[in-house]
Amino acid sequence: MASPNDIKKGTVINISNELWSVIDFQRVAPGKGSSFVRTRLRNMKSGKVQEINFKSAESLTFEDVQYKKMQYLYNDGNLYTFMDNVTYDQVAIATGDIEDAIAYLKEGIDVNVVMHAGQAISVSLPQKIQYTVAYTEPAVKGDTASGNVYKDAEMDNGLKVRVPMFINHGDVILVNTETGAYSERVNE
Amino acid sequence: MPSIQHISREREAINDTIRAFLKGRGYVEVETPLLVSSPGMEPNLSPFETTVVEPDGTRHQAGLITSPEYSMKKLLGLGMERIFTITKVFRNEEELGGTHSPEFTMLEWYQQGADYRACMDETQEMIQQVQTVLRGESAEGGVVQGDPMVRVPVRDLFLTHVGINLDTADTAALREACIRNGIHTSEDDSESDLFYRLFLAKIEPQLHASTFVYDYPMCQAALSRLTSDGKYGERFELYMDGLEICNGFTELTDAKEQRRRFEEEARDRARLGKKVYPIDEEFLALLPSVRTPTFGNALGIDRLHMALTARKAIKDVVLFPSRSLFKDS
Repeated sequence: MASPNDIKKGTVINISNELWSVIDFQRVAPGKGSSFVRTRLRNMKSGKVQEINFKSAESLTFEDVQYKKMQYLYNDGNLYTFMDNVTYDQVAIATGDIEDAIAYLKEGIDVNVVMHAGQAISVSLPQKIQYTVAYTEPAVKGDTASGNVYKDAEMDNGLKVRVPMFINHGDVILVNTETGAYSERVNE
Repeated sequence: MPSIQHISREREAINDTIRAFLKGRGYVEVETPLLVSSPGMEPNLSPFETTVVEPDGTRHQAGLITSPEYSMKKLLGLGMERIFTITKVFRNEEELGGTHSPEFTMLEWYQQGADYRACMDETQEMIQQVQTVLRGESAEGGVVQGDPMVRVPVRDLFLTHVGINLDTADTAALREACIRNGIHTSEDDSESDLFYRLFLAKIEPQLHASTFVYDYPMCQAALSRLTSDGKYGERFELYMDGLEICNGFTELTDAKEQRRRFEEEARDRARLGKKVYPIDEEFLALLPSVRTPTFGNALGIDRLHMALTARKAIKDVVLFPSRSLFKDS
């Protein structure tokens, strides 16, 4: 049993048999009464983000998880397969366990596979992933002036991202996997 | 990032304006000790502890104040009518960044013969004066512009945002409201805990405008006078820019109730494994001499500075941010 006071960023908490990882936390105390720890948690399965406030005196169950760097190989129906580049061990994770990550996966990229009790239970994406723009309309003169500075683009893995007007077909860009937003152009 | 010169000019303007405002209303500025034998009884707070050693080796347990409250109330008991202090206070186990700091600046002021409504009026006027002065001072902009301050009883906030009436809601009703709103609860939650869970999740995010929130349920205002209907405690907090700026009361001057509260807090501290400090008997002896009503208000100067300049972190309103003082530990 652990105390909410021991929560750190990245701590994994078991709440009703679902694992939540701590994105952010803050201790708060009212003028009178118990103090609380305000947390923002990400469900490790669904990717859903939720705020939960714990009373400092509550007892929580923290789970020990490991993050193992693996390469994404392929998708076969309901299963996504990853490989450890050192041992060549492969693990398969079901669609339902990595819902929020699927759109960002691209063959050959490295991700952190979340291991819990010897099982691969989810993946944690790098904060930014590099993609090549597979399709976007060329910029139209006057679009910038009208304030319409972003346009639709499709990445090489099918991911759809809003990008600035100056981005062209074939450009390499970084996308933020937390927000799904364009981050920057990579000059190669 | 505002410059050191800019921050120091703003802070000087804030402190000077507050001093002039309160002195103009007959308040006396007092200095209170930072190093005391009983630094605070609140179960939530962790004072910095130290030992006072006399030349003959006699040792005294001591700590740095978490608030100047006990000393201020002693002065009231000794017959001072209107007093204020601008002082450093210390709270251990606080974050070293964001909106918290282990050392921060507090304005605390008291007036005998007036209640919390007069205090809200005074707080509002004072802050508006500080705003006016800062606006003249601040070339870099960002000062909150003429934000009108609204006043809302806690009861109305709960009616609107939670849909329950605190006049009649008991612990079970609060728990039910938490469950209905998908708010996590714990089996051993007290009425106060459940209230605060609802407050954090449903009320605080709604407090965008500068708002005096007043009349707290008794479980959240044990040391304030009761409202005339006996249902609430005469306590208020001011929220600006989503931050708690101050906490004021019509003070309870009942030494018996205060002792009972201290003993309860000492038990809570012991249960939480925190150090229990001796009850300040001098404080309890002087408390009955304080008149009713008397208001008191504690206002965080750093946070006021943040709210008035629309800055989001304490490090942007102080010259020596705590994170830069304690880098490697």
